Amino acid sequence: MSHVSDFLKPSDLQRISNLQVLARQVVEGFTTGLHRSPHKGLSVEFKQHRPYVPGDEIKRIDWRVFARSDRYYIREYEEETNLRSTIILDRSGSMAYGGETPGAVSKFDYATRLAACLSYLMLQQADGAGLVTFDTKIRRYIPPRSRVSHLRVIIEELENGKPGGETELGSVLHDLVPKLQRRGLLVIISDCFGEVSEFLKALAHFRHAHHEIVVFQVLHPDELDFPFKGWTQFDCMERDGVKHLLDPALLRQSYLANLAKFRDELTRGCRRHKVDVVPFTTDQPYAHALAAYLSRRLARG
Amino acid sequence: MNFLNAALLAGTFALAIPIIIHLFHKSRFKVVKWGAMHLLEAVLRTNQRRVKIEQWILLAIRCLIPVMLALAMARPIWKGAAMLLGDAKTSTVVLLDNSYSMDAGRAGTTNFSIARDETQRVVNGLQRGSEVFVAMMGQGGRGLIDSPTYDISRVTQALAKSSAGFGTAKIPSALDFAATTLEKMHESTRQVVLLTDFQRISFEATEDKLLGSAIERLKALPVPPSITLWDVGQEVKENVAVESLDFSRLMIGVGQKIQIRANLRNYGGANHPDLRVTLKVDGKDKSASQVNLGPQSKGQVLFTVAFDSPGSHVVEVATEPDALAADNIFLASIPVRDRVPVLLVDGAPGTTPDDIKSETGYLQIALSPFMAGRVEQSDLIQARVIPLETLNAKELGESAVVVLANTRKLGDDQLKALEDFVKNGGGLLIFPGDKTDASWWNAAFSKLAPLRLGAIAGDLKEGAPSMGVVSQRFENPALEIFNDPRNGSLSEAAIKVWFKMLVPEKSGGPLDPVVLARLDSGDPFLAERTFGEGRIIACATAVDADWSNLPARPSYLPLVQRLCVYLASNVYPPRNLEIGQQLVSFLPADAAGKKAMLTGPDGIAVELPVVKKDARGVVEFGPVFTPGLYTLMPPVGLPLHYVFNADRKESDIGKLSEAEIASLAKAHGIPVVHTFAEYQQTEHKQRFGTEMWKWALWALLALIFLELILQRMFASARGKIGAHVKPQPAMSAR
Repeated sequence: MSHVSDFLKPSDLQRISNLQVLARQVVEGFTTGLHRSPHKGLSVEFKQHRPYVPGDEIKRIDWRVFARSDRYYIREYEEETNLRSTIILDRSGSMAYGGETPGAVSKFDYATRLAACLSYLMLQQADGAGLVTFDTKIRRYIPPRSRVSHLRVIIEELENGKPGGETELGSVLHDLVPKLQRRGLLVIISDCFGEVSEFLKALAHFRHAHHEIVVFQVLHPDELDFPFKGWTQFDCMERDGVKHLLDPALLRQSYLANLAKFRDELTRGCRRHKVDVVPFTTDQPYAHALAAYLSRRLARG
Repeated sequence: MNFLNAALLAGTFALAIPIIIHLFHKSRFKVVKWGAMHLLEAVLRTNQRRVKIEQWILLAIRCLIPVMLALAMARPIWKGAAMLLGDAKTSTVVLLDNSYSMDAGRAGTTNFSIARDETQRVVNGLQRGSEVFVAMMGQGGRGLIDSPTYDISRVTQALAKSSAGFGTAKIPSALDFAATTLEKMHESTRQVVLLTDFQRISFEATEDKLLGSAIERLKALPVPPSITLWDVGQEVKENVAVESLDFSRLMIGVGQKIQIRANLRNYGGANHPDLRVTLKVDGKDKSASQVNLGPQSKGQVLFTVAFDSPGSHVVEVATEPDALAADNIFLASIPVRDRVPVLLVDGAPGTTPDDIKSETGYLQIALSPFMAGRVEQSDLIQARVIPLETLNAKELGESAVVVLANTRKLGDDQLKALEDFVKNGGGLLIFPGDKTDASWWNAAFSKLAPLRLGAIAGDLKEGAPSMGVVSQRFENPALEIFNDPRNGSLSEAAIKVWFKMLVPEKSGGPLDPVVLARLDSGDPFLAERTFGEGRIIACATAVDADWSNLPARPSYLPLVQRLCVYLASNVYPPRNLEIGQQLVSFLPADAAGKKAMLTGPDGIAVELPVVKKDARGVVEFGPVFTPGLYTLMPPVGLPLHYVFNADRKESDIGKLSEAEIASLAKAHGIPVVHTFAEYQQTEHKQRFGTEMWKWALWALLALIFLELILQRMFASARGKIGAHVKPQPAMSAR
C-alpha cells in the first residue's frame, strides 16, 4: 500500500517544517506495504498484534486470534538489536547550494531531512541511532541510543543546524574515529567535495575500526549538469573572497569530464574499502535513501 | 581595390557590434554561489588559457561577419596595379582584320561587316573624351584615319567606308603598329582590341613567335595596354581560289600566241566536278573552260590567247563565285610589244653597214632575220647598229636592250649613261673580242661587268682544241629552250678562243653574279648579274665567227634572240604588283609637268602629276591597298594597266579550332571574346578589375558556418544538455 509521501517530491515535503512529522510521514509511507516487514524480528518477545494487510507473510498470521475473532492479525515482536547506527552529517558551506531558484531544496536541507527520516526509521525498528554533525570540525556528537525518545534529541540538533565553513572531510572523520568506540553502521551524508584520497583514508580508518559504512552522496542537479549560460561569477561558498568570472558554456565539457573523474575516483576508492556510495540528487524522493539504508541493514543481518 | 558603393563601407563599423555584445555580456554577469568549486577550479587551471584563445577566435570571427557583409555590399573590385584609375578615359586602338579572308561569310553578311559593326559598338561604347585609333590589319597595320582622334564621328565615317579584301593579315606587325601608335596616345588607360577571323595561316608557328614578341613589346610599354582578341570568324570552309597565272612566253608581240596557265586550288572539302573557269581579255569574255577539282586539290586550266594590238592588255581568269569572292579572280597586266628595240654597239665595224664581217653582222641577222631577208613578216626584235662613238643617253633611251660587241673602252659619259640605263631596268648583253681591254673592264667597267676578265685562253691555230658548252639543265628562262634537245644544243659549238672569266668567292648575297653556262674547260661561258633594276649578261667569247663557229650553229639564233628577249622582258617598273606596293610608271621626258589620270578598281579617277626625274617623266601612286586593276592614262600614248593582286595565302580560310584559340590566348595571356557582351565583361574586368562581392559573400557564409562549428566545438554545451548521464538510482546494486 503506497503512502501519500511516495508521490511527493522533496520540494513538496519541504513545506512540512516539523522534521518529526516529516520523518514519520516518510518512513511510514515507505514501510507500509513492503513485502518483507522490517519488524519480522524472529527471536524476541511479543510486542503487539496488528491487522493483516495484503502482502504480509501468511505464516505470520496469528491463527489463534483468527479463531477467536474471525479476523486476521499478525503478531509482531519487539526485536532486540545491537545495531548502532550513527548518521554523520556534513554541514560544510558547499552543502548550502540549492540552485538558482529561491526557496529550492538545498543539499543541506535535503541532507537534514534524510537524516531525520533515517533516524526515525532506525529508532522505529529499535536500532540505535546517533548523529554527528561537522563542518571544519565536529560540531555535535550525539551517541547512538535506541530509545524512541532519542529521536527528539536528534531532530532538535538537526533543526538548529546551519551549514557554513570549509570542510576537510578527511581530517574531521579521522578525528571522529576514537569517539565511536563501539562498532556499528556509519551513514555519511555529504557531497564528499574535497580531497578524495584523504576521504578514502578516513574511510579506511573507520573500516579498520570494523565499522560498516554507507555514503549518501548528495549532489544538486546543477552540479551534475552545469547548465549555466552566459557570463557567470561563481562565488565560493566555503572560502570567502574566492570568485571566478567565466563563460560556463565554454567550460562545461571539461567540468563534466572532471566531475565524472571525481565521482569515478570516489566510487572506486569506496568499493575498494567495501563502502557503498549511494548518489542522490536533491530532486529524488527520500524513500530511495531509506531503501538504500535498509538494503544495507539487511545485508548486515 | 575599389568599391562601387563606397558609402556602404561604413558598414564595417558594425564590427563593433560583436565587441559591444561581448562586453555587455561580460558586464551583465550573474552571480552563483557555488559549492563544487574544487571541480571548477581544476578545470579553470587547465583550460583558462585555451578558453581565452577560443573566446578571442570566436570574437574575431563574429567581428569579421559584419565586416564581410559590409564589404560584399560595397561591391569591391580588384584591379591590380591599375586600381586607382577608375573609369577614366581610355586610349583605344582597334585593330580590324580586313584581309580578304574576312570577306568570307554566310547569309549575306561577311566576317568583315560583323567586325566593322562590332568595332563601331566598341567605339561608341567608349567613355566620353576617349582617344581612339582604328587600324586595318590587311597590310600589317594601316590607319583607317591618319592619327589617333578624340572625334568619334570621324571614326564612324571612316568605318562606314571601309571594306575588306586587303591582302594578308599580319597580326604581329599590326600589334607592333599598335604599340607605335599607343606611344603617341595620351590617356592613361589603354587598350588594344584586335578583331580577327583567326585564320589558321595567320597563326602558324613563325607568326606565333612574332606574335609573342609583339605582345611582349606591348606589355613592355610604359603604360601597358590591356589586349583583347576578338573572334569574329564564322568559319567558311569551302573556297576555290585562282592562285596564280603562268605565261608561256617571256614577252609577247602582236599576233603571237601565248599560253596562260591558271593554277586553281580547292581549299574546301567539297568536290567541284565541273568548275567553270573563264578568261577575259581587256574586260571581254574570251574563253571558258571546265576543270574537275576534287577536295583539297589543285588544278590547272590552259588558255591560249593572241593579242592583235600592241600596248598594255589585261587578262582576267575567274572561277564561279563562292563564299570568298576576293580570290575568285586573278588579274594580270600583259604588255604586248610590236617591237623590241635592241641597240647593237659595234666595236669593230665593217666597211659597209651591212657587212657580214663586221662584229655585229651575224648578230643583226640572227636578231631580225625577216628584216635581213627582206621578208614581209615583222621581227619582234628590231636591231639597230651604231658605232661605239655615237653611243649616248638618247640612243639608249630608245632601246630596251644594248649589246656591246667587242668594244674597247667606253667614255666616262657613255659609261654613266649606260649605268643609268641598266639601273632603270635596261638590259645589257656583252660579248668581248680581240679589242676588249681587260684592264679597263676590270677597273672602270667592273660596276657593270658580271665577272672580272682573266687571260685569253685557247688558240686559233688549225688543229688546236676547241671547247663546247657543257650540256646541263639550264635554270635561266633565256636558256630553258635548250633543255629540250629538239631545239638544238649549245654543245655543238666549237669555241677556240675565250676569255677566262674569274668567278669571285661567293658572298651569298642576292647580287652575286650567276654563271648560266660553262665551257668544257670549266670556265664560265655566260654569266649574269643584276644592277639596279636591270640585268646584264656577259659571254666569254666573241659574238662573231672570229673565235668560234657559234654563229654557224643552229643554236645561235635562238640563243641570241632568247638572251635579248630575256633582257628586254624585264618590264620596269613592274605592272603586276602585290598589295602594299607602290605604283610607278616611267613616261617619256616630254610628259613631265603634265597630268596623268589613274582610274582605280572602284572607278574613281585621280589626276597624278608627272614628275621629271633623270631624263624622264615619272608617275608615282600608292602604296596601293585595294586590289584590282588600275589604269594609267599618260598625257600621250596608250593607257597602261597596273594590276594589284592580294597574296593568295589568305585563300586558305581554315580557322583555328576553339581549343587552339584558347591555348593561344592562354599562351600569351590574352583574353579572347566572341560577342560584344563578352568584350564588355572582359574589358570591364581588365579596366575596372574583378568584382569581388561574390567572394565576399562566400567568405561571409563561410565565416557564419565557421562560427557555428567552432562554437559547437569549443562548447558542445547547448547540443548536449540533458544528454549527460543521470545519477544512478539510489538503490545500489547490492
